[in-house]
Amino acid sequence: MISGRGRGKIRPPRRPGVGGHDEIPEFETQWDILRSALKEIHTKNASKLSFEQIYRASYKIVLKKQGDRLYDRVREFEEQWFGTEVMPKIRQLITPNLINITLEGVAGVTANERRTTGEDFLRGLKAAWEDHILTMNMTTDVLMYMDRVYCTDNRKASIFTTSMGLFRDHILRGRLTGSELNTFNILNSVILDHISMERDGDTINRALIRSCAFMLEGMYETDEENDSDKLYLTTFEPEFLRASRAFYKAECTNLLQGSDASTWLRATQRRLAEEETRCYMTITPLTVPKIAKVVEQEMISAHLSEFLAMEGSGIKAMIENDRYEDLTILYQLVSRVDQSKESLKVALQARVVELGSDINKNIQNIDFSGAAAEPAENGEAASTGDKGKAAKQQTQSAKMTAAAIQWVDEVLGLKDKFDTMWKKCLEEDLILHTALTKSFSDFINLFPRCSEYVSLFIDDNLKRGIKGKTEAEIDEVLDKATTLLKYIQDRDMFERYYKKHLARRLLHGKSESSDVEKQMISRMKLEIGSAFTNKLEGMFKDMTMSDDLTSGYRTHISNLGDLDRKQIDLGISVLTSNFWPMESMGGDASRQEDGTQISCNWPSEINTLQESFKSFYLKERNGRKLTWLGFLGTADVRCVFPKIPGQTGNLGRERRHEISMPTFGMIVVLLFNELADDESLSFEEIQQRTNIPSRDLARTLHSIAVNPKAKVLRKEPENREVKPGDKFFFNTHFTSKNIKIKAPVMAGAVNKVEGDEERRETEVKNDEHRGYVIDTVIVRIMKARKVYSHQNLLMEVIQQLAQRFKPNVDMMKKRIESLIEREYMERVEDAPVPTYNYLA
Amino acid sequence: MASSSQNQGLSKYVTLVSMDGFEFVVLREAASVSKAIARMLSPTNGFKEAQDGRCVFGEINGVVLEKVAEYFYYNYKNRNREDVPDMEIPPELCLELLMAADYLDT
Repeated sequence: MISGRGRGKIRPPRRPGVGGHDEIPEFETQWDILRSALKEIHTKNASKLSFEQIYRASYKIVLKKQGDRLYDRVREFEEQWFGTEVMPKIRQLITPNLINITLEGVAGVTANERRTTGEDFLRGLKAAWEDHILTMNMTTDVLMYMDRVYCTDNRKASIFTTSMGLFRDHILRGRLTGSELNTFNILNSVILDHISMERDGDTINRALIRSCAFMLEGMYETDEENDSDKLYLTTFEPEFLRASRAFYKAECTNLLQGSDASTWLRATQRRLAEEETRCYMTITPLTVPKIAKVVEQEMISAHLSEFLAMEGSGIKAMIENDRYEDLTILYQLVSRVDQSKESLKVALQARVVELGSDINKNIQNIDFSGAAAEPAENGEAASTGDKGKAAKQQTQSAKMTAAAIQWVDEVLGLKDKFDTMWKKCLEEDLILHTALTKSFSDFINLFPRCSEYVSLFIDDNLKRGIKGKTEAEIDEVLDKATTLLKYIQDRDMFERYYKKHLARRLLHGKSESSDVEKQMISRMKLEIGSAFTNKLEGMFKDMTMSDDLTSGYRTHISNLGDLDRKQIDLGISVLTSNFWPMESMGGDASRQEDGTQISCNWPSEINTLQESFKSFYLKERNGRKLTWLGFLGTADVRCVFPKIPGQTGNLGRERRHEISMPTFGMIVVLLFNELADDESLSFEEIQQRTNIPSRDLARTLHSIAVNPKAKVLRKEPENREVKPGDKFFFNTHFTSKNIKIKAPVMAGAVNKVEGDEERRETEVKNDEHRGYVIDTVIVRIMKARKVYSHQNLLMEVIQQLAQRFKPNVDMMKKRIESLIEREYMERVEDAPVPTYNYLA
Repeated sequence: MASSSQNQGLSKYVTLVSMDGFEFVVLREAASVSKAIARMLSPTNGFKEAQDGRCVFGEINGVVLEKVAEYFYYNYKNRNREDVPDMEIPPELCLELLMAADYLDT
């Protein structure tokens, strides 16, 4: 670095105080300067001193390689200072009272006294600490050169650190005369005492404690000064946490015995907040998570289930009485201790299932009471035969339908309740949402008629419920229906019912709005998939097609030109047979064993009409087969009732009425066209002539011969039952105020709850259908896998069918057996686990 | 001049005095490059130097101290720049400057 050649000579540095032999005295002189300076510093007289002078003294000592001696001397000086100046003051502050507090806790001293003595002590200690820090800062500055050169070279802790250690050892850990205690114990217990005073509602000097805690934070166990070795962390904090734990344990036990869950929630919340502020204001932020954990463990986790189960204020009451605030706090607390919120989840689920089962039970009770009332009334009516039975059945089934809708409403109410709760209190927690959904689905599926009821609910709403509602309201109803649908496991069952109900709505024109119907379908499509709604959509398509056909046919006829007054106006619905649930629409009565429909004997007028339509229809659609289903349609029949001689008023005139009746009714009434007024036909005769199945015929006759509003036929004997052997006459005495009369729809045309027998039938049919579905799924899987183990096969079947229903294991086993019998697959003989082999 | 520092907070300038009586008035900020000087003048410690803003160096002569003050300014002027060339130092002063630097912890 020095390359300037020859430019003057390099002057040797002037060695300061080169004394050669007198090194020791030299050291002593310098040390004397330093010592007096240190003393001045400690007595806060630094302004008289020249920094440079002291600094130079230490500089010289270190330069003379006497750093170690200086270091030790300073140390000694500090120790001495502590012993003679600082400790006595502290000792003075430690009154016997304080020692008592430390040793045996509170004994006969008032809180106020304790506070004052404690504060004095803390203040004294704090003052000593602050003085120490100040002087040591100055000392370190003055001895900077030593720190920099000597301490780094010799790997010694800086003088500051050392002096901190000295303070720790001499002041805090200094034994008190005549006891095992040291200042430290007293410090800890005084602070804890103060904190517990504050917990009990007293005011304390937070800043003072904060600075003491800060002091502890500034010191370390060793001179290495590891962060984890802070005295605060090693000594005070464990004590603090232990004391707090004990405190909260006691508090929680008290709360458990003496108050309700609501108080507990609020107390816990308050305590948590308090502890947090305490950490920030009084102790140190370092402890925040730890103390929070202690409170959580003691106040929340320890007795959570007991509080939840509390009579009158536990989670049950909270849900019952919509105590949203409580629930909100509860949720917050629980989510602090448990990420998965297990206990809350279980409690909520239990509650949902309980409330849900209540609903289920209530509805079943209603059903039961309806059924129970019947035999009693029957007893009364026994003498008059069972003429009232039909009517009663009607009202009872109406009652049951109402019950079904009530069930759905209640379920929805419950769902609403939990939804608001979820939004308001549970912060829309996803885990809990899944749990709630699951328990809803559980209890809904526990109710055997859920599919039917939900479908009925939709039916009811689409028939009348949506009348006069705004679009938003309709949307809401549909939303509700879809929500329920989501919960249902046996979707195939639902589909069955829905199809049945929809078919009736469509064919009888009961549906309020086809737009809404279509919306519902598309919602179901979104929710469950297009396989599910395929047939439903087909039904709608059929309806539109039929409208087109009807008008097309009309134009076709009018184009033919032979407009004839007697022409019958035909409105037709052409139904694709596998979209529509024939059997559940009432077609099973006319079905022969081989599955073909028995055709009834159509009157000749109708026959020509049918032929004419058939030729029109088949002109464009060759190869299709049309089957006429008389039991589904209705006919408007214009009837003329002759005037009856000798009668005045209505009966004296000729009366024309237009009666809307079932198609079968028309066929029957037409028979009477050929008869004289006083001739009669017996039930059997009618059946023979029309070939209408007896069950349908009985129903038809009931609606046109028994029902007082449209009594076109007179029956003998005149009672309410239609039985074989009864005789029927044309009712010449029929009167009505209205020109247009509607004969009541056949019993089968109203959507209502199924009777037990019907229900069993539906179930059997459904099971049969499921059997086929399972067959196909098994074969499909086996075809793909070729060889597959029994267990895996079952799993996959369940998984594939989950969208539609939950297959039962027995049924699957049976299906497998039957498939083996039919040689679709075989058992693998020597496989370790049962395995099947697919036979192509 | 700098002695009035007590009343108006910290004065901007401080005086460095060499052993042979030369005085250099320098910016406090510039001089604080030296940790020793910085601590010497620190108001919290309150030594004599801090009070009258005057540092007397009993073992640094004027020539060296001048160079030190020059360095302070050189350093201060270039404090935010990069690629600053070394300061020109007369070889004959090298050793003494080196010792002063050690002493002042610069």
